[in-house]
Amino acid sequence: MPEPNLQHELRNAPPEPLLPIEKKLIGWSLGIGVALLVILVLVSRFIPASL
Amino acid sequence: MSVTTETAHWSTTAEPRPRITEDWLSVWIGLGIFALALAWLWGVDLLGWVVSTSVWIDPGKALGTISKTYEQLGGPGALAVTYLALLAVLSAGATVLNLDVRRFAIAFTAVFAFAYASWMIGSYAHVAAVTPADQQKFGISWSLKLTNEGGYVVALLAGLVIANFFPRVAEWLKEAIRPELYIKIAIVILGGFLAVTAAGRLSLATSLLWRGIAAIIEAYLIYWAVVYYIARKWFGYSREWAAPLASGISICGVSAAIAVGGAIRARPAVPVLVSSLVVIFAVVEVLILPFLAQRFLWQEPMVAGAWMGLAVKTDGAAVASGSITEALILAKSATDGISYQPGWVLGVAATVKVFIDIFIGIWAFVLGYIWTRHINPTRDQARAAEIWQRFPKFVIGFVLTFAVGLVLALAAPSDISSRLPAAIGEANTFRVIFFVLTFFSIGVLSDFKKLWQDGIGKLAAVYVLSLFGFVIWVGLVVSWLFFAGVRPPLAS
Repeated sequence: MPEPNLQHELRNAPPEPLLPIEKKLIGWSLGIGVALLVILVLVSRFIPASL
Repeated sequence: MSVTTETAHWSTTAEPRPRITEDWLSVWIGLGIFALALAWLWGVDLLGWVVSTSVWIDPGKALGTISKTYEQLGGPGALAVTYLALLAVLSAGATVLNLDVRRFAIAFTAVFAFAYASWMIGSYAHVAAVTPADQQKFGISWSLKLTNEGGYVVALLAGLVIANFFPRVAEWLKEAIRPELYIKIAIVILGGFLAVTAAGRLSLATSLLWRGIAAIIEAYLIYWAVVYYIARKWFGYSREWAAPLASGISICGVSAAIAVGGAIRARPAVPVLVSSLVVIFAVVEVLILPFLAQRFLWQEPMVAGAWMGLAVKTDGAAVASGSITEALILAKSATDGISYQPGWVLGVAATVKVFIDIFIGIWAFVLGYIWTRHINPTRDQARAAEIWQRFPKFVIGFVLTFAVGLVLALAAPSDISSRLPAAIGEANTFRVIFFVLTFFSIGVLSDFKKLWQDGIGKLAAVYVLSLFGFVIWVGLVVSWLFFAGVRPPLAS
């Protein structure tokens, strides 16, 4: 089993630039997350918690 | 990092391929424990002999059986039976994994002894007692206030001591140092426990649905994306490191790091190293955040409870923080003449955490799908079968136990469903033992000198920056947005 050696890996591993699919993942996650958060905050104003 | 864990492991040794992978083995062992526990629903107590540890000041009262059916065994008897049962089951597992069973059995005996001794030390009142009432109960004037979950930290430290000062012992234990197997069994069992927790608080869970969804959105979509970006862009981590790290920091600590690490086929040591950081920082959070909540949020108890569920990683630490926060805030409110009903702050913390937990498997699947189809495909075009091959099988066990637990809790006749918490409680006791074995194993795998050379400090820097610079404060804002002004009912 290959043992990870962080320092060695960071020094010698070829750079792994963000792939377009990673940028998409980050962008869509954040976009959907913030949009849904705003929607849920607004909805919760109309549907108050009944604890 | 395109070599999968299992391929790398089995292709670099002369051992024959095992008849089953650790992943599937964890599913069968976890489901087996869950199924045996469910016999209690029909009045057959098959697992009541499992050993349980209470917070103690008198060591003679520390151990006992989880069920009164077997209380004649006594604490030491329960410990011995539990050890023998685990030895038998895991040795059978070692056989199908094509391990050296004799070496495994000897090593497991030592691993179990070290791990459970650590758990007992963590339950010592001077370590575990949290509230002044607890301290009074045990007649002590001080405590580290770690709750009995501090036993996980003790197990981790015990493993670290062995790894760093007794490397020959660590080498001797190697055959039974299998954190992935132990944690996956624990996660399969956890599914049933979470189902019962969610069902038991269904009315509260229903009214908190929006909050739970918000928590999921925050943890999975906002936290994860930002932490992943920070790890990749600012700290230069590879995808193999960044994904488990982001999952550990942003979702639910150890479970998420392991689940995502498995889903993207990271080497086993990657999520294990991330998990060791998760535990350390979760303990730091437990020791700091409840006191900050008492100081600044005592007039908003529900905000404080939700904050603990959102900000503190790992189930145990989050619920412990909710419990401590409730005790501290109710005490402060009482001095101001306000007496809240107990249970609500803790309930919010636990409910938010449960909602986050439920989706670990789904998020792991989403990331596994993206990784295997778009980021780390083999030479051949990615096929559906390949996705299945890389899919973490223990997630199936987790979903199964959750589904069965929820159906039983909500749809079974009342005489059966009323026994469900006790039945799941027995399985959950095994879950705790597997967690302890995991933490001890993580410690034994962690040679500090090597870790320092390997640059763990940089991992910790990502963690500190993300957790204390982002996760905690965004969690506070979201908690405030959804819970400000909502207060627990007053005590009658």
